[in-house]
Amino acid sequence: MKISVSATAVTTPRKVRAVSIWLVAKWIAAFLVALIAILPIWWMINVVFSVPGEPVSINPRLYPTSLGDGWAKISMVLTETEYFRAYLISLLYALLTITGVLIFGSMAAFEFALFEFPGKRTFFAIVMLSLMVPTAVTIIPTYLLTAQLGWLNTMQGLVVPGLSSAFGLFLLVQFMRSIPRDMIEAARLDGAGHFQIYWHVVIPLSKNALITLAILTFIQTWGNYMWPLIISSDPQMYTVGQVVGLFNSPLSHHTVDIVMTANLLAAIPPLVFFLIFQRKIVEGVAMSGTKG
Amino acid sequence: MTFLEIASISKSFGPVNVLKDVNLSIKEGEFVVFVGPSGCGKSTLLRMITGLETPTSGEIKIDGEVMNEVEPADRGTAMVFQSYALYPHMSVFGNISFGLRMAHRAKAFIRQRVESAASILRLESLMERKPGQLSGGQKQRVAIGRAIVREPKVFLFDEPLSNLDAELRVQMRTELIDLHKRLKTTMIYVTHDQVEAMTLADKMVVMNGGHIQQAGHPLTLYDDPDNRFVAGFVGSPRINFLPVSVKAVGGDTIGLSLEGSDRLTKLAFDGLDTDSDEMELGLRPQHLRILKDDEQALEQELLLEGDVVFVEQLGDVTYVHVDVSETSRIIVRADRKTYSGQSRIRAAADLSYAMLFGPDGARLRSRSLPTQ
Repeated sequence: MKISVSATAVTTPRKVRAVSIWLVAKWIAAFLVALIAILPIWWMINVVFSVPGEPVSINPRLYPTSLGDGWAKISMVLTETEYFRAYLISLLYALLTITGVLIFGSMAAFEFALFEFPGKRTFFAIVMLSLMVPTAVTIIPTYLLTAQLGWLNTMQGLVVPGLSSAFGLFLLVQFMRSIPRDMIEAARLDGAGHFQIYWHVVIPLSKNALITLAILTFIQTWGNYMWPLIISSDPQMYTVGQVVGLFNSPLSHHTVDIVMTANLLAAIPPLVFFLIFQRKIVEGVAMSGTKG
Repeated sequence: MTFLEIASISKSFGPVNVLKDVNLSIKEGEFVVFVGPSGCGKSTLLRMITGLETPTSGEIKIDGEVMNEVEPADRGTAMVFQSYALYPHMSVFGNISFGLRMAHRAKAFIRQRVESAASILRLESLMERKPGQLSGGQKQRVAIGRAIVREPKVFLFDEPLSNLDAELRVQMRTELIDLHKRLKTTMIYVTHDQVEAMTLADKMVVMNGGHIQQAGHPLTLYDDPDNRFVAGFVGSPRINFLPVSVKAVGGDTIGLSLEGSDRLTKLAFDGLDTDSDEMELGLRPQHLRILKDDEQALEQELLLEGDVVFVEQLGDVTYVHVDVSETSRIIVRADRKTYSGQSRIRAAADLSYAMLFGPDGARLRSRSLPTQ
């Protein structure tokens, strides 16, 4: 209220006061949303970097108190459990999926967006229809297929079913449709073959969309819990999500702060990714919507 | 000798016939301009020459070789697009050298070719820039540079200047003429702007409705059009068309009268051969003169009278738009001396320059008297 009063004193009364209140309200709303989003993460950091038991004691603290304890817990989780192996498996799983989704998605989108071929509309409609089908419906057939291929507990079993991304195809097709046809024809006249047009013209021009898709795929793969849980029963093939699940399970002997350490470590890669690329994600998603 | 031959080319997109039995031969080194209203098929014809479209029937020969099945890149043609179609992620050098790089030419060779194209087009200082940092005219020059390095047998331009402002367009036009003089390569240029066509062309090909209406030197088309469409399309301001009836045919003259008028005017014409008496007379605005208040039209002149609806005063000339009847509006070329703000004028037309068109739009030519 104080702000609005001082603002009235400076310039014309009513209008400015209305704007200020609205502005203050917006700031409060934004702050609350941010608080709700950040608090759990902050709590994780708080619990990890404290003397065990302190944050939940009679006299709790809302800020980290012991860096050393934190490092000790992290190194304990990474060295004395299977966590590090799971970390590597998740990383490999995510990187292979991203690579595959980008290669297959961009190649398919290149054809769908820029060329005519018989049955194009039907094929595209089928792919888009698969967007409507919930994962839960396809998960059993996919499991059976993967099992028949003998891919249970293997990296290919983990990665291959995730390579066909209808959403990714849609995103890239929308984006590539905005590439002027003249440019493709100019490249053709310049003697570029089909693959050269794809590689030298379309891929560089779709860079933003590809980065967006890579980030979204990373976040999705890293957080994918269901598929790894189904496909790999062997602890040797567990991903981070599964291992965190083990830490959290009712019969786990770990204390809260160790569980929190495992959670925090799992949350770091997507957080870092998002913080670095958040502008690209927003740009890319907005672009695919408006420029198509 | 014919260098590029288009023989009985037709093209349809589904049920729509865009081009119908088009025949054209182009000599080596000619600057040919395809001109016509939008949708007349001129761009499609250009795209077929370069191989971006396949003809439904007919044959395209370049330098004696049938090109129908030849890949676009191997036809010896290079095209400049209306949108420039530069690759935005590559520098000017990258854009110009793209074709040579795709052909895996030696680096030194590429550099030498690109540099020589850049010097022709005065692009040397811009080589490292991206297209986004160039002006419209510079982009257009880069697009032309990309065509030049391929050393094509035929240059194709698809409305290349239509995205530029008027002043730059005039400047680029002269640059194109200069380029043609230096390279002496066959150039085919598509535009809907007849002024552009007339200034550039050695040979102007007027197209409409999927047909070539007439092809020839721009001034030939202006002076001696084959039909009403060409007469109306070539020349700015437009030619005037007046509905007339043939009242008398005799020897080497015919007697004409304007719709709704009894005054008979004689037109030198030998051998009128048509079933209908209703025709159209084509008169260019400069062949009409405004009569002074007390002045009478000469006997061989056509007299026109009407209300002034609109005046374009351009300084050196004045174009007066006059409604001579409910359906006919004509343009009279005058100047500041002959037109001084009257709301109604009388004009006399010198019929020695008049052209006669039949009901089907075809030009009716006098047998013995050469028309001007």
